[in-house]
Amino acid sequence: MIPPVFLILLVGFGLAASAVGAIYWAARNGQFRELDRGARSIFDEGEPVGQPTDQVFRKRVRAPKAS
Amino acid sequence: MSATLQTTVAKPSASTEAEGEVVQRVEVDASCRIPVLFFFSSAICWLLLGSLFGFLASWKMHNPGILDDWSWLTWGRVRVAHLNMVAYGWASQAGIGTGLWLMSRLCRAPLRAPGVTVVAGIFWNIGVTVGIVGILAGHSQSIEWLEFPAYATPLLFVAYALIGIWAVLMFVNRRPGHVYVSQWYLLAAFLWFPWLYGTANVLMQAFPLKGVTYGAVNWWYAHNVLGLWFTPIGLASAYYMIPKVIGRPVHSYYLSALGFWTLALFYSWNGMHHLIGGPFPIWLITASVVASFMMLIPVLTVAINHHMTMRGHFGLLASSPTLRFTVFGAMVYTLVSLQGVTMAIPVWNKITHFTHYTVGHAHLGMYGFFTMTMFGAMYYIVPRLVGCEWRSPLMIKWHFWLSAYGIIFMVASLSLGGFLQGSYLLDKDYTFKQIVEGTLGFLQLRSVSGIALACAHLVFAFHFVLMLLRLGRKGGEATYFNSPETGA
Repeated sequence: MIPPVFLILLVGFGLAASAVGAIYWAARNGQFRELDRGARSIFDEGEPVGQPTDQVFRKRVRAPKAS
Repeated sequence: MSATLQTTVAKPSASTEAEGEVVQRVEVDASCRIPVLFFFSSAICWLLLGSLFGFLASWKMHNPGILDDWSWLTWGRVRVAHLNMVAYGWASQAGIGTGLWLMSRLCRAPLRAPGVTVVAGIFWNIGVTVGIVGILAGHSQSIEWLEFPAYATPLLFVAYALIGIWAVLMFVNRRPGHVYVSQWYLLAAFLWFPWLYGTANVLMQAFPLKGVTYGAVNWWYAHNVLGLWFTPIGLASAYYMIPKVIGRPVHSYYLSALGFWTLALFYSWNGMHHLIGGPFPIWLITASVVASFMMLIPVLTVAINHHMTMRGHFGLLASSPTLRFTVFGAMVYTLVSLQGVTMAIPVWNKITHFTHYTVGHAHLGMYGFFTMTMFGAMYYIVPRLVGCEWRSPLMIKWHFWLSAYGIIFMVASLSLGGFLQGSYLLDKDYTFKQIVEGTLGFLQLRSVSGIALACAHLVFAFHFVLMLLRLGRKGGEATYFNSPETGA
């Protein structure tokens, strides 16, 4: 039987290889291109750039009538 | 990049032309509702229990006689139970809940078969409970961060595997588009944890190694579980919450990618700096100290990025609980990481190692950074899941200030006390008894700050229960915050 340490080492190498694979995939896939667009990917038309989304403490502005 | 910030509050009517995205968000939230709320609820239960045990352990440091008649509540067991409750009961489950929701939202895909994750969560909780009872019964393993007795481990591993597989499947089934930096962090964390946990358990329990390698694996695990499990989840949350709340994209997306990949590259080398001065091959320690310094790259990229994103928008800290907790956490992340780098310097390590200073550092990281970030994430996520808004800004403020002052005082007293303790321990003119007595004042101060933290948790838990019972403020759609008429 293979000693467990070697099995673990094999898995470790596999994991390291998958990390290299991931960065290779990301580069090929264009994940590092158009970085500005990447940063904006969490916004959409419903929650656009320029619109804060969490305003519990906000004073002064009156709350719209609850539906 | 620098979009002008509207000061108007989001109105549901803005979504007419964006029906698709809103429906998508609603679907994502609906699919995550039960599992994420389950993980958050059980995390908060463990947080309360963990606070109690932490307080007990802290109190025993200056009043050793208290509750000492029963072996189950002796200091050696209570402290370990506290650590495992907050690490695996609270922090991991808060992280899993946040991670599942964020992953689902960023993949723009609902969580499939959410029942499986709930079952996994139930098993995880059974595992933690069995482990804690085992520790209190005296079956603790003398492996730091892996004290759970061997019979609890398989349960935890299988439960985790289900959750991890679900998170990875979600990523595989994501809607096409850009992979956001938070997704990288989350995917990595969900893959790193089983590797760390599995390897450490195989090499330390199933087929134990002998000699120095045993210590090496222990610290490889104990340090990486912080840096490759908790840290990426905390950062994933901060990288989403900060831009999202202030409505402005991350300052430099290039830096965020650099930060992620350098963390992945350097972090796993760091653990051996816990063995400085120990009977251990010097080259391993040296490599680890060098890697600790290399951590300056990912830490500073994150710090610069978050600061520059926030610049000009610090005023929003006054209006958003999520932002307040998350930014506090992000700032502490920079601080605690830089402190960690200095603690890897051998001359400084010689003073601080094996003193309360290290304990202060651990609390700064796990509480000041990770826990605060998770609170921030919960303040954002829970209203979207239950469909009503947090009831009382006043309670959130109490939660924040008690937590913030509590952790600041705790770390300050432990750091100062630990530094003095370490300095005097190196001085032959002082007896051990004198030094121990000298730390008592600092330890009492730490207990007091622990009370503040426990109160903060009680306030938060009460508020969370109100939300679960849907007793929050109603009005508008769940995805938008309406403004209360009084800020309190």
